[in-house]
Amino acid sequence: MMDTDACIHPYPAGNSSARRMVLEAGEMGFRAIVIPGAAPGEYHGVRIIPAIIISETDVRKVTGQIRKRGNGVTLVLVDAGDNGFNRAVLTQRGVHCIRRIHRAPKNAFDHVSARLAEENGIAVDIDLSPLIQEKGVLRQKILYRYHDLMKLHSRYRFPLTLSSNACSVLDLRSPEEIRLLCTLFGMDKEDTSLALRTVWTLLSPTEQVMVVS
Amino acid sequence: MDPALSYGTGHGGVMKARPPTMREKKRYILARINPPVPDPDPKELYFAVLESVTSLFGDAQTARMMPVVISCGKGYALIRCTRGYEEQTRIALMTLTSVAERKIALHPVATSGTLLALKRRIARMPPLGWELVSPLQFKGSEYTARRYPGQKVDLLEKGIKSQELLFLTQDDLEEL
Repeated sequence: MMDTDACIHPYPAGNSSARRMVLEAGEMGFRAIVIPGAAPGEYHGVRIIPAIIISETDVRKVTGQIRKRGNGVTLVLVDAGDNGFNRAVLTQRGVHCIRRIHRAPKNAFDHVSARLAEENGIAVDIDLSPLIQEKGVLRQKILYRYHDLMKLHSRYRFPLTLSSNACSVLDLRSPEEIRLLCTLFGMDKEDTSLALRTVWTLLSPTEQVMVVS
Repeated sequence: MDPALSYGTGHGGVMKARPPTMREKKRYILARINPPVPDPDPKELYFAVLESVTSLFGDAQTARMMPVVISCGKGYALIRCTRGYEEQTRIALMTLTSVAERKIALHPVATSGTLLALKRRIARMPPLGWELVSPLQFKGSEYTARRYPGQKVDLLEKGIKSQELLFLTQDDLEEL
């Protein structure tokens, strides 16, 4: 189990090549990194985990996209929407993670969604980029949303992932820095360490042993 | 008049320093600057640090933390704060994204109670080396390349306004 940044966006979305970002992430202490659209592989001892980001408002379209693009080794990340959409997505097979919760409407992720996420082993992604990039009211709102998310997490214990969503090597933060940053919204260091390793459990879930005969 | 009680040298006495037990305890943070070159102006870095601490923790907390940039150069910055607030100062340093419109990142490396310990640590670190390669063509534009030991290469677009900065590796350039 290794510390993993759950999403970064290299060139051309950002100003740093995938190799450079992987190299810098490795120096910071990450052993794996999730890159949407990348090919699986390894560079300077850091594993590259490919991902697809599904940004739809209709659940049927999400299902279609998973059928078309999901292949078991690719992490499927779905952008959060309103409450109904999120509940439907959290029951979908093949979804690994729901992201951009902070951008969804208020109450889009409630106790029912939290329970569904826990039951189906779907992680909720915490995007750290707005905490670094934004200031003022917007950052306060995001901190409030993450506080609320942590309240639900302490009750339902659904999996969490942490992503820097870095578009540049300058936006990357080390696991130790992330542990400190997460204390801003009440996430303790143990939970942060667990969240940094969640990606591995999402890709190889431990299923219950069944006696067949 | 007892020289110890006088308020300044103007009265003929020596100003007595505050006893060590009454002084504010400090902590010193060593932070790595990325990209390491060119060095940011210490005064501009100080204002950027102050701005990021204030925006994250507010004026009252910043007054208690008292963040000060002591020095910066050769890819490192030394920042002082009040003891007990070093963790919050480190968090605020992580949220710093630019100094005078130039994008940079600060990565806290070590915290110490003495400046000397951090200066020794800087002395033990490998010296920052890089070579300038110019001009270099990348995706149809002309760049100046800054090549660091190992794989890292930074490309700075040639021009006067809004020069693009790209972070690549030697492997990326060889693939072109």
